Amino acid sequence: MMDSIGLLTLITFSPLLGVLLLAFVPSNKAGTIKLIGVLVSFIPLILSFVMFSSFDSTINGMQFVEDFDWIQIPLADNAMIEFKYSLGVDGLSMPLVVLSAIVASMSAIAAVNMIKKRWKEYFILFFLMQVGLYGVFAAQNLFLFFIFFEITLITMFFLVGIWGLDKREDAAFTFLLYNGLGSAILLISFVVLLMSAGYYEGANGTTIFTTDIQTIIFNLNNSASPYELLGVGVSDAIKYGVFFALLVAFGIKVPLFPFHSWILKVHYQAPPPMSMILSGVLLKIGAYGLFRMNYGFFPEITETFSTLLIILGIINLFYGGILAFVQEDMKMVVVYSSISHVGIIILGLGAMNSFGFQGAVFQIVSHGLLASLFFYIVGVMYNRVHTTKFSELGGMAKTMPFTSGILLTGALASLGLPGMSGFISEFLTFLGLFENRPILAAISTLGVVLTTVYLLRSVLNVTYGPTAEKLTHVSDARSVEMIPMVVLVGFVILVGVYPAILSEPIQATLQLFLTRIGG
Amino acid sequence: MLENAWLVPLFPLISFVLLVAFGRQLKEGAAYVGIVSLLSSFIVALGILFERLGHDAENYIQNFNWLTIGDKTLTVGFEITPLNALMLFVVTLVSLMVHIYSKGYMHGDERFPVFYTYLSLFTFSMLSLVISPNLLQAFIFWELVGAASFLLIGFYYFKPSARSAAKKAFIVTRIGDLGLLIGISLLFWQVGTFEYAGVFEAVEQGLVEPGFITLTAILIFIGAIGKSGQFPLHTWLPDAMEGPTPVSALIHAATMVAAGVYLVARTFPLFEASETAMYVVATVGGFTAIFAASIGLVQNDIKRVLAYSTVSQLGYMMLALGSAGFIAGVFHLFTHAFFKALLFLTAGSVIHAVHTQNIKEMGGLGKEMKITRAVFLIGALAISGFPGLAGFFSKDLILMSVYESGHVTLFWMALIAAVMTAFYMFRLYFLVFSGKPRHNANVHESPKNMTIPMIILSLLAIFAGYIEFFGFGEWITNNGVIAEEVEGPKWIMYLSIIAAFGGIALAWLMYGRDNKVKTGEPRGLHKLLFNKYYIDELYSTVVVRPYTIFGYVLKFFDKYVIGGLVQLSVWFSKAIGKIGSRLQNGQVQAYGLITIIGLVLLLVSLTAGRLLG
Amino acid sequence: MVPLNAYLAVGAIMFSIGMFGVLNKKSGIIVLLSIELMLNAVNINLIAFSRFGFYGNITGQIFTIFTITVAAAETAVGLAILIAIFRNKGTISITDLNIMKR
Repeated sequence: MMDSIGLLTLITFSPLLGVLLLAFVPSNKAGTIKLIGVLVSFIPLILSFVMFSSFDSTINGMQFVEDFDWIQIPLADNAMIEFKYSLGVDGLSMPLVVLSAIVASMSAIAAVNMIKKRWKEYFILFFLMQVGLYGVFAAQNLFLFFIFFEITLITMFFLVGIWGLDKREDAAFTFLLYNGLGSAILLISFVVLLMSAGYYEGANGTTIFTTDIQTIIFNLNNSASPYELLGVGVSDAIKYGVFFALLVAFGIKVPLFPFHSWILKVHYQAPPPMSMILSGVLLKIGAYGLFRMNYGFFPEITETFSTLLIILGIINLFYGGILAFVQEDMKMVVVYSSISHVGIIILGLGAMNSFGFQGAVFQIVSHGLLASLFFYIVGVMYNRVHTTKFSELGGMAKTMPFTSGILLTGALASLGLPGMSGFISEFLTFLGLFENRPILAAISTLGVVLTTVYLLRSVLNVTYGPTAEKLTHVSDARSVEMIPMVVLVGFVILVGVYPAILSEPIQATLQLFLTRIGG
Repeated sequence: MLENAWLVPLFPLISFVLLVAFGRQLKEGAAYVGIVSLLSSFIVALGILFERLGHDAENYIQNFNWLTIGDKTLTVGFEITPLNALMLFVVTLVSLMVHIYSKGYMHGDERFPVFYTYLSLFTFSMLSLVISPNLLQAFIFWELVGAASFLLIGFYYFKPSARSAAKKAFIVTRIGDLGLLIGISLLFWQVGTFEYAGVFEAVEQGLVEPGFITLTAILIFIGAIGKSGQFPLHTWLPDAMEGPTPVSALIHAATMVAAGVYLVARTFPLFEASETAMYVVATVGGFTAIFAASIGLVQNDIKRVLAYSTVSQLGYMMLALGSAGFIAGVFHLFTHAFFKALLFLTAGSVIHAVHTQNIKEMGGLGKEMKITRAVFLIGALAISGFPGLAGFFSKDLILMSVYESGHVTLFWMALIAAVMTAFYMFRLYFLVFSGKPRHNANVHESPKNMTIPMIILSLLAIFAGYIEFFGFGEWITNNGVIAEEVEGPKWIMYLSIIAAFGGIALAWLMYGRDNKVKTGEPRGLHKLLFNKYYIDELYSTVVVRPYTIFGYVLKFFDKYVIGGLVQLSVWFSKAIGKIGSRLQNGQVQAYGLITIIGLVLLLVSLTAGRLLG
Repeated sequence: MVPLNAYLAVGAIMFSIGMFGVLNKKSGIIVLLSIELMLNAVNINLIAFSRFGFYGNITGQIFTIFTITVAAAETAVGLAILIAIFRNKGTISITDLNIMKR
């Protein structure tokens, strides 16, 4: 696969086909545009399933590798900077590519009913964003990673800023400010890494500076590395500095307390299909980056700070959980529940054993599916009654039994009911924590009760009880609207009943991360 | 047959899937799907029970890999031991009866198929829980039965009371489940497996510290407390009566709430290894038994009386298990399932007829509802411990076990609870069936598909106790592997008979003789009991309100402190921007000047070294 | 023979005068004239280096011719712009042209 265009490139850039097609469609032909929008979004989905099925779960390294020379900048003194176009997936990124494809295609279907203007621009931006989404998980060097990362950011800025609710511009700028800050920190960290650890010796004794992830990992973790002799060694100060810079950069994205306030505004204002992408996949980039870079580059430092991570996780879990309990708006509950649920990802990462890591990946996938499901259902509701306030909702089960049933199922999955994905992730995470830190683990399990409390309160407020006036004359979801619900719940149940489908491909890779940590 | 035990939960699962997919089209035909699947399960379960009854029968266990994490493999599977063969029989039987009964009871409800869907889900989960060979699988289905119970309690979703009852049931049991989760997780890292067999082996070989055993046993017991409605997590069970009555019979009387008792019985070797844990179990059980019975004395809602009676009887079972009376506890679990399900079904029959649950608005129903009256009487006698009926044997065995274990206080508490049980049951009987009618409903006997299940259950309530004479104790303990049989002095039996008759007589004196209903506000002790010792109010002030207030404080914090920090940084950037924008006056020449000054500075700084040095 | 430094000094003085004019004069015409002055200062330098530089060659002189051509074109364009501005705003005072502020 070294010399030909591979599957990953196809997955990453196939959405551009949609851009091309849309270029030939007049912008007033809404039907055709939507059709293209949905159909083209399914191409990466199908391709990612192909990738999933041909993924070799015994290999712990990168697969489907593509490696091309791209940019080379010669420097004085026999050295040069090299940025390659290199893609690849391992057990950690492969599920995320599949998850992105699932959520993106469902989001495309959601957009059919929920986007009410300027469809052409919407779908063009949406396709561009998809390129960023797949690319960011497949990128094998930091330069490429950063480019894809920025693509998602900029497209999302416009998608929120143009198609959001009435305070959309404010929200879009908040989004850009926070994430721009995160990107800046990220960029600085990457440059520092490039200068301090990103080099190897090429042919004829040239020193080649690179942002290749594997090279950086090698240089950072092998003190006996021959390249140490080049005299650019990495001091501890740099290591710690970059570690915390990355933690903050990805912490904003995840989002970790106290960097969470942007998602409140953004999620509330974003159009539902974009909220699905945002909470389903974009926030996961933070967790992915944390795992790939903080754990990959600095396993020892991460080990030292695992308690800090666990405490951050617990804070998120409880903070989101308690605040979700006092919200008066369904959408805000979902947003705070996102904050609470990413806490579990961090907890799993902090556990530092295979159960915890598995739990974290399961939670990434599970929350990706569930959060997009929730935002979708809230969007379906909003589409009908134009409110998400509890005071104006209630008794939805009478007029919209199907939607209510799915909402209830989603809530049950989200609070960790067995048979659905939420249970597997929570259970594995807590079990992992119990091995070495029983006290912290016992505290964090209390989060399960908090989750139950706020989810039941909010979901039952909406679905049960006497039917609210606004809900008396609405109709249940139409069949097009049902597709995302059924598909997302289907995957939630699939992962919950047969978790080996996810745990096996990721096993080898996580084991590699563990051996680096030395545990 | 034993290797096909997985079929038992499979049938309800198929029924569940079918009903989810086609329930809406099937309408009331959904009942047949449920009944046929349950009948199949019952037949298989019966086959399993008979096969396992044989003297040379062995326990059967089969495992499949489910999930491999690191070097640990988690398995799922099923096993057949005497205990769960018995449970399979009880659950399938009661569930079948309830399925048949509900066809009449739920007739005309617009969510009829949904009801059967939930019932199938529950039965599937409960049966899977019973055949689980490891703690993890048990926990999984433990949660699922809780969810099914939640759905069924909230079946009348449009009623705010049903909504809050469902919510309460889920949350309170979840608190208990937390204990269970912590318990099994700790155990897992200590023993390296979730398998019951592996855990018991490790405990037996002394690989686990005694203190650790006590800790995990008590944590597991917390799970059982939540599920079985033991004090202090009992508050959800009476509220759960908001669900349809057949559900109360199946889930909140016969099967699911007994899951806590079942779990303690299943992990009995763990409990037995710790004296402290046993003592905790016995004390909580004994206290709950008398505590709940005392509340049951004065309640006016027929289902609530039965609910408190259930809590009290479950306390009895816990008391038995905690006093090393494994056989007694399981035996009572077995007999109780029949007569309590029976009592709930008759209560449902009564409610169906008069459309109220308040016993003060009933009375004199015996004339029109002869069958209901007769089977209710059988049930009431059985639970009161009337000699010759099922409850008599099991209750007697419990009292003996408690006496033998030497907990004198608990023994007397249990005996007083027995008097109370007889009293409140016959208070119900007299107020509902005898005397003059205090209602103006047009009362009919219920249809056949409701009465037949009641009659079948009443036969079991009479005869189920006699299995004691056919080597039940020896069989259920797997020939003495799990626990030993206990023998107590004969006078205990006479004492328990006196207790039963005493309670009945007292009820007759107060309610049966003149059949008057007291009106007016309850006072003193009566008021305390009537308000259930104000436990709900206590929780509300001690837990719920502070939590809500804390939530609002945090909301304030989030909005003004975190949000304030954000505003501060925005203000800060703006301030810097203001200073910078002064320079942007639009004068090209000013820009040029600045550029040149910058250039000069740059040049000077770059060349300074050479100029000076 | 006149030394290189003399040429450079003249160039520097002319350049500074031109720069002063660009930065300080109010009239657009004067600013353009000052720019010419700066360009010519550069031309002097180029010629001086072409004659006296380490590797003296003809390139500098050729470049000067280029510069003169470009400067002429630039002046023409600059004057055209100034005329256009004058027609629109009635002034060619640099201080009044601050629309970049907005």
